[in-house]
Amino acid sequence: MTQFDPICEKCEELIQPYLDRELNEVERIEAEGHLSGCGYCSERYRFEVSLRRYVRQACCSEEMSPELKAKLAALRTPLH
Amino acid sequence: MAEAETDARRLATEARDRVRFEEEVLELADQVYRVARRLVSSREEAEDLVQETYARAFRSWRSYTPGTNLRAWLMRILTNLNIDRGRREQRSPDTQPLEEGDYFLYNRLEQTGGLEDAERIVERLSQDSIVGALSNVPHDFRDVIVLVDIGDFSYQEAAQILDVPIGTVMSRLHRGRRILKGQLAETTVGEES
Repeated sequence: MTQFDPICEKCEELIQPYLDRELNEVERIEAEGHLSGCGYCSERYRFEVSLRRYVRQACCSEEMSPELKAKLAALRTPLH
Repeated sequence: MAEAETDARRLATEARDRVRFEEEVLELADQVYRVARRLVSSREEAEDLVQETYARAFRSWRSYTPGTNLRAWLMRILTNLNIDRGRREQRSPDTQPLEEGDYFLYNRLEQTGGLEDAERIVERLSQDSIVGALSNVPHDFRDVIVLVDIGDFSYQEAAQILDVPIGTVMSRLHRGRRILKGQLAETTVGEES
Protein backbone atom coordinates (compact mmCIF):
# COMPACT_ATOMS: atom_id res chain seq x y z
CA MET A 1 0.00 0.00 0.00
CA THR A 2 1.37 3.42 -0.77
CA GLN A 3 1.19 6.62 1.20
CA PHE A 4 -1.18 8.08 -1.38
CA ASP A 5 -3.84 5.57 -0.59
CA PRO A 6 -6.94 7.50 0.55
CA ILE A 7 -7.50 4.88 3.24
CA CYS A 8 -4.08 5.72 4.68
CA GLU A 9 -5.03 9.38 4.62
CA LYS A 10 -8.16 8.59 6.58
CA CYS A 11 -6.10 6.48 8.97
CA GLU A 12 -3.75 9.41 9.52
CA GLU A 13 -6.77 11.37 10.73
CA LEU A 14 -7.99 8.60 13.01
CA ILE A 15 -4.78 7.74 14.85
CA GLN A 16 -4.86 10.61 17.35
CA PRO A 17 -8.47 10.16 18.50
CA TYR A 18 -7.83 6.41 18.48
CA LEU A 19 -4.95 6.87 20.92
CA ASP A 20 -7.17 9.18 22.98
CA ARG A 21 -9.82 6.42 23.05
CA GLU A 22 -12.31 8.86 21.65
CA LEU A 23 -13.35 7.05 18.44
CA ASN A 24 -16.78 5.53 18.19
CA GLU A 25 -17.11 1.79 17.73
CA VAL A 26 -17.37 1.90 13.94
CA GLU A 27 -14.36 4.18 13.52
CA ARG A 28 -12.33 2.14 16.02
CA ILE A 29 -12.92 -1.08 14.10
CA GLU A 30 -12.09 0.71 10.86
CA ALA A 31 -8.82 2.07 12.28
CA GLU A 32 -7.78 -1.25 13.83
CA GLY A 33 -8.64 -3.13 10.65
CA HIS A 34 -6.51 -0.83 8.55
CA LEU A 35 -3.61 -0.73 11.03
CA SER A 36 -3.41 -4.51 11.20
CA GLY A 37 -2.93 -4.80 7.44
CA CYS A 38 -1.01 -1.68 6.46
CA GLY A 39 2.73 -1.56 7.16
CA TYR A 40 2.99 2.11 6.23
CA CYS A 41 0.40 3.20 8.79
CA SER A 42 1.26 0.69 11.51
CA GLU A 43 4.87 1.90 11.51
CA ARG A 44 3.67 5.47 11.93
CA TYR A 45 1.21 4.36 14.55
CA ARG A 46 4.03 2.78 16.58
CA PHE A 47 5.96 6.02 16.24
CA GLU A 48 2.99 8.01 17.58
CA VAL A 49 2.68 5.71 20.57
CA SER A 50 6.32 6.17 21.52
CA LEU A 51 6.21 9.89 20.73
CA ARG A 52 3.40 10.36 23.23
CA ARG A 53 5.24 8.47 25.90
CA TYR A 54 8.34 10.47 25.14
CA VAL A 55 6.58 13.86 25.21
CA ARG A 56 4.96 12.99 28.51
CA GLN A 57 8.33 11.97 29.98
CA ALA A 58 9.96 15.16 28.81
CA CYS A 59 7.15 17.35 30.08
CA CYS A 60 6.72 15.67 33.45
CA SER A 61 10.38 15.37 34.37
CA GLU A 62 10.28 18.38 36.67
CA GLU A 63 8.83 17.50 40.05
CA MET A 64 7.15 19.90 42.39
CA SER A 65 9.49 21.19 45.11
CA PRO A 66 8.94 20.04 48.71
CA GLU A 67 8.81 23.73 49.67
CA LEU A 68 5.80 24.31 47.44
CA LYS A 69 4.13 21.22 48.83
CA ALA A 70 4.63 22.56 52.35
CA LYS A 71 3.25 25.95 51.32
CA LEU A 72 0.11 24.35 49.91
CA ALA A 73 -0.45 22.33 53.07
CA ALA A 74 -0.04 25.54 55.10
CA LEU A 75 -2.93 27.10 53.14
CA ARG A 76 -5.36 24.68 54.78
CA THR A 77 -7.91 25.96 57.21
CA PRO A 78 -6.43 25.78 60.70
CA LEU A 79 -8.16 23.32 63.02
CA HIS A 80 -9.63 25.00 66.02
CA MET B 1 -30.49 22.29 74.43
CA ALA B 2 -31.46 19.91 71.66
CA GLU B 3 -30.97 22.70 69.19
CA ALA B 4 -27.46 23.45 70.43
CA GLU B 5 -26.62 19.79 70.08
CA THR B 6 -27.85 19.68 66.49
CA ASP B 7 -25.79 22.75 65.70
CA ALA B 8 -22.71 21.23 67.25
CA ARG B 9 -23.23 18.05 65.26
CA ARG B 10 -23.70 19.99 62.03
CA LEU B 11 -20.49 21.94 62.64
CA ALA B 12 -18.59 18.75 63.40
CA THR B 13 -19.82 17.16 60.16
CA GLU B 14 -18.89 20.23 58.20
CA ALA B 15 -15.41 20.32 59.71
CA ARG B 16 -14.92 16.67 58.89
CA ASP B 17 -16.09 17.18 55.28
CA ARG B 18 -13.74 20.12 54.90
CA VAL B 19 -10.75 18.21 56.25
CA ARG B 20 -11.47 15.35 53.85
CA PHE B 21 -11.85 17.77 50.96
CA GLU B 22 -8.55 19.46 51.78
CA GLU B 23 -6.74 16.16 52.03
CA GLU B 24 -8.09 14.99 48.68
CA VAL B 25 -7.13 18.26 47.05
CA LEU B 26 -3.61 18.08 48.45
CA GLU B 27 -3.19 14.55 47.15
CA LEU B 28 -3.67 15.91 43.63
CA ALA B 29 -0.91 18.51 44.01
CA ASP B 30 1.70 16.70 41.89
CA GLN B 31 -0.71 16.32 39.00
CA VAL B 32 -1.85 19.92 39.26
CA TYR B 33 1.74 21.11 39.28
CA ARG B 34 2.66 19.09 36.19
CA VAL B 35 -0.15 20.69 34.21
CA ALA B 36 0.58 24.17 35.57
CA ARG B 37 4.25 23.86 34.71
CA ARG B 38 3.45 23.36 31.01
CA LEU B 39 0.78 26.04 30.84
CA VAL B 40 3.21 28.77 31.85
CA SER B 41 6.79 29.39 30.89
CA SER B 42 8.75 29.38 34.16
CA ARG B 43 8.96 27.34 37.31
CA GLU B 44 8.25 30.46 39.43
CA GLU B 45 5.07 31.26 37.51
CA ALA B 46 3.92 27.66 37.86
CA GLU B 47 4.51 27.73 41.62
CA ASP B 48 2.58 31.01 41.99
CA LEU B 49 -0.26 29.68 39.89
CA VAL B 50 -0.54 26.46 41.91
CA GLN B 51 -0.49 28.38 45.19
CA GLU B 52 -3.22 30.73 44.01
CA THR B 53 -5.23 27.74 42.81
CA TYR B 54 -4.99 26.04 46.18
CA ALA B 55 -5.79 29.21 48.10
CA ARG B 56 -8.92 29.67 46.02
CA ALA B 57 -9.87 26.00 46.18
CA PHE B 58 -9.65 25.96 49.98
CA ARG B 59 -11.65 29.18 50.20
CA SER B 60 -14.42 28.01 47.93
CA TRP B 61 -14.61 24.38 49.00
CA ARG B 62 -18.36 24.65 49.48
CA SER B 63 -18.88 25.12 45.76
CA TYR B 64 -17.45 21.66 45.10
CA THR B 65 -20.10 18.94 44.92
CA PRO B 66 -18.78 15.79 46.62
CA GLY B 67 -18.67 12.82 44.29
CA THR B 68 -18.04 14.91 41.18
CA ASN B 69 -14.69 15.15 39.39
CA LEU B 70 -12.40 16.92 41.84
CA ARG B 71 -9.41 16.96 39.49
CA ALA B 72 -11.43 18.70 36.80
CA TRP B 73 -12.89 21.14 39.36
CA LEU B 74 -9.37 22.11 40.48
CA MET B 75 -8.10 22.38 36.94
CA ARG B 76 -10.91 24.72 36.06
CA ILE B 77 -9.84 27.06 38.86
CA LEU B 78 -6.27 26.82 37.61
CA THR B 79 -7.00 27.55 33.96
CA ASN B 80 -9.31 30.44 34.88
CA LEU B 81 -6.65 31.97 37.11
CA ASN B 82 -4.09 31.53 34.39
CA ILE B 83 -6.27 33.44 31.96
CA ASP B 84 -6.99 36.12 34.59
CA ARG B 85 -3.29 36.57 35.13
CA GLY B 86 -3.25 38.34 31.84
CA ARG B 87 -1.53 35.72 29.83
CA ARG B 88 -3.82 36.68 26.95
CA GLU B 89 -1.78 39.84 26.64
CA GLN B 90 1.36 37.88 26.02
CA ARG B 91 2.71 38.14 22.58
CA SER B 92 1.42 35.52 20.24
CA PRO B 93 3.17 34.78 16.98
CA ASP B 94 2.24 37.10 14.12
CA THR B 95 1.93 34.25 11.72
CA GLN B 96 0.30 30.97 12.48
CA PRO B 97 2.91 28.23 12.39
CA LEU B 98 2.92 25.99 9.39
CA GLU B 99 0.66 23.05 9.85
CA GLU B 100 1.39 19.63 8.43
CA GLY B 101 -0.33 16.26 8.52
CA ASP B 102 -0.02 13.82 11.39
CA TYR B 103 2.60 11.68 9.70
CA PHE B 104 4.76 14.70 8.95
CA LEU B 105 7.24 14.37 11.83
CA TYR B 106 7.80 10.66 11.27
CA ASN B 107 8.27 11.19 7.55
CA ARG B 108 10.83 13.93 8.13
CA LEU B 109 12.77 11.93 10.69
CA GLU B 110 12.67 8.89 8.46
CA GLN B 111 13.95 10.82 5.43
CA THR B 112 16.89 12.27 7.30
CA GLY B 113 17.93 9.28 9.36
CA GLY B 114 18.93 5.77 8.52
CA LEU B 115 16.60 2.84 8.72
CA GLU B 116 15.59 2.56 12.31
CA ASP B 117 12.81 0.98 14.24
CA ALA B 118 9.79 3.28 14.54
CA GLU B 119 10.09 3.21 18.31
CA ARG B 120 13.76 4.20 18.23
CA ILE B 121 13.35 7.13 15.85
CA VAL B 122 11.67 9.10 18.60
CA GLU B 123 14.88 9.02 20.61
CA ARG B 124 16.42 11.45 18.18
CA LEU B 125 14.29 14.17 19.71
CA SER B 126 15.84 15.74 22.80
CA GLN B 127 13.82 16.45 25.94
CA ASP B 128 14.73 20.12 25.67
CA SER B 129 13.47 20.31 22.11
CA ILE B 130 10.14 18.79 23.15
CA VAL B 131 9.66 21.20 26.04
CA GLY B 132 10.74 24.10 23.82
CA ALA B 133 8.44 23.07 20.98
CA LEU B 134 5.46 22.80 23.32
CA SER B 135 6.09 26.25 24.75
CA ASN B 136 6.05 27.61 21.20
CA VAL B 137 2.57 26.29 20.51
CA PRO B 138 0.04 29.18 20.79
CA HIS B 139 -1.84 29.25 24.13
CA ASP B 140 -5.27 28.09 23.03
CA PHE B 141 -3.82 25.01 21.40
CA ARG B 142 -1.28 24.36 24.13
CA ASP B 143 -3.90 24.43 26.91
CA VAL B 144 -5.77 21.56 25.28
CA ILE B 145 -2.64 19.50 24.59
CA VAL B 146 -1.48 19.92 28.18
CA LEU B 147 -4.88 18.94 29.62
CA VAL B 148 -5.31 15.87 27.41
CA ASP B 149 -1.74 14.62 26.97
CA ILE B 150 -0.23 15.56 30.31
CA GLY B 151 -3.30 15.90 32.54
CA ASP B 152 -5.00 12.79 31.11
CA PHE B 153 -8.35 14.51 30.80
CA SER B 154 -10.93 13.31 28.30
CA TYR B 155 -12.15 15.62 25.52
CA GLN B 156 -15.35 16.14 27.49
CA GLU B 157 -13.50 17.06 30.68
CA ALA B 158 -11.18 19.42 28.82
CA ALA B 159 -14.24 21.10 27.29
CA GLN B 160 -15.76 21.63 30.73
CA ILE B 161 -12.52 22.88 32.24
CA LEU B 162 -11.93 25.41 29.47
CA ASP B 163 -15.62 26.18 29.04
CA VAL B 164 -15.60 25.60 25.29
CA PRO B 165 -17.61 23.16 23.15
CA ILE B 166 -16.16 19.68 22.73
CA GLY B 167 -15.76 20.31 18.99
CA THR B 168 -13.43 23.18 19.82
CA VAL B 169 -11.34 20.89 22.04
CA MET B 170 -11.08 18.40 19.19
CA SER B 171 -10.10 20.91 16.55
CA ARG B 172 -7.58 22.66 18.82
CA LEU B 173 -6.05 19.36 19.80
CA HIS B 174 -5.85 18.29 16.19
CA ARG B 175 -4.19 21.50 15.05
CA GLY B 176 -2.12 21.91 18.20
CA ARG B 177 -0.48 18.51 17.93
CA ARG B 178 0.33 19.15 14.29
CA ILE B 179 1.85 22.51 15.14
CA LEU B 180 3.88 20.79 17.86
CA LYS B 181 5.16 18.22 15.38
CA GLY B 182 6.00 20.90 12.87
CA GLN B 183 8.05 22.70 15.52
CA LEU B 184 9.79 19.49 16.50
CA ALA B 185 10.65 18.70 12.91
CA GLU B 186 12.05 22.17 12.46
CA THR B 187 14.27 22.06 15.53
CA THR B 188 15.38 18.46 15.10
CA VAL B 189 15.78 18.08 11.37
CA GLY B 190 16.06 21.66 10.25
CA GLU B 191 14.40 23.22 7.28
CA GLU B 192 17.00 22.51 4.66
CA SER B 193 16.47 18.79 4.11
